[in-house]
Amino acid sequence: MEFLLENILNLIGFLVGLAIGIMALIGFRNTGSPTLFRLTIAFFSISLGFFVIWMGYMVEDFVMKSGSIERWIQTLGIAIQTVGYFFIAFSHSIKSFFPKSRYFRSIGIFPLFLVSDVQLEHIFRSVSFILLAYGAIETMLSYVENKNKGAISVAVGLALLALGEFLGWYSFVFPESILYSASMIIKIGGLIALFIPVSKVPLTKIKFDEGLE
Amino acid sequence: MAEYRIHMKIIGDILATTRDDLQDENGASVTYLIRKANISHSRISRILKTLVSQGLLEQVDTKGSNKYRISQSGREFLQAYYTFTNFADDFGLSI
Repeated sequence: MEFLLENILNLIGFLVGLAIGIMALIGFRNTGSPTLFRLTIAFFSISLGFFVIWMGYMVEDFVMKSGSIERWIQTLGIAIQTVGYFFIAFSHSIKSFFPKSRYFRSIGIFPLFLVSDVQLEHIFRSVSFILLAYGAIETMLSYVENKNKGAISVAVGLALLALGEFLGWYSFVFPESILYSASMIIKIGGLIALFIPVSKVPLTKIKFDEGLE
Repeated sequence: MAEYRIHMKIIGDILATTRDDLQDENGASVTYLIRKANISHSRISRILKTLVSQGLLEQVDTKGSNKYRISQSGREFLQAYYTFTNFADDFGLSI
């Protein structure tokens, strides 16, 4: 069951990330906007991260048949995804990650201390959680300002991905529980929510204007 | 509160004015565009020169003064600009 869910999640993640990345790339080529450039890097990284893990499962399933994916492949894929989440958060201005208040600063780095003596994968998951939660909050705040309904879908998508990352990370505490499967289902829901506003972009009206710098 | 406009938004405002808010059929004068786009003369001159050279605006000589109107390429660019502005808005960002 977990194996099937992992395959579905990583395949959807790869396709959704690729679709949004291509859309952002077309936008960057049309407008030269640095924001769209950062979104392009972000979603191509997310897509590549899911692809690496998906390929890891495929190779394990059809070639190696050892029963479990190589740990370093999973870690590498999650690390690449974390880079993508960083660029989403960076687009919202990364300075909010370093608040002046000493109290908030200690809260901000608390999850890192919790996992600093375990595997890299745990660190990447916790960092991803922080970046995704930040992105979700900022996107929701932008909805409050602009009342753009697409922002709700993106905020919900990022929040579900954050929750999925948190549960995925927390499932190491209870390895035999339903937590990991739940985290994957939640992340699939998050990816679908992310894709909803992008699916409404009128592709037929988009045209490259290569001359404009 | 004063809002900082990025270069792309100024271009979008100028193109939108020349598409939707023309003075007459010949186009919009520089003075009119300065007022509508709320931008200095020296800055708009550079932008207009670029937009004309890129084929997004057409320059029309009328009675010794230049007027500007949007070209077909300009209309397509403006459509793409609005599309990607909405795309970025969905992510809580501005292009």
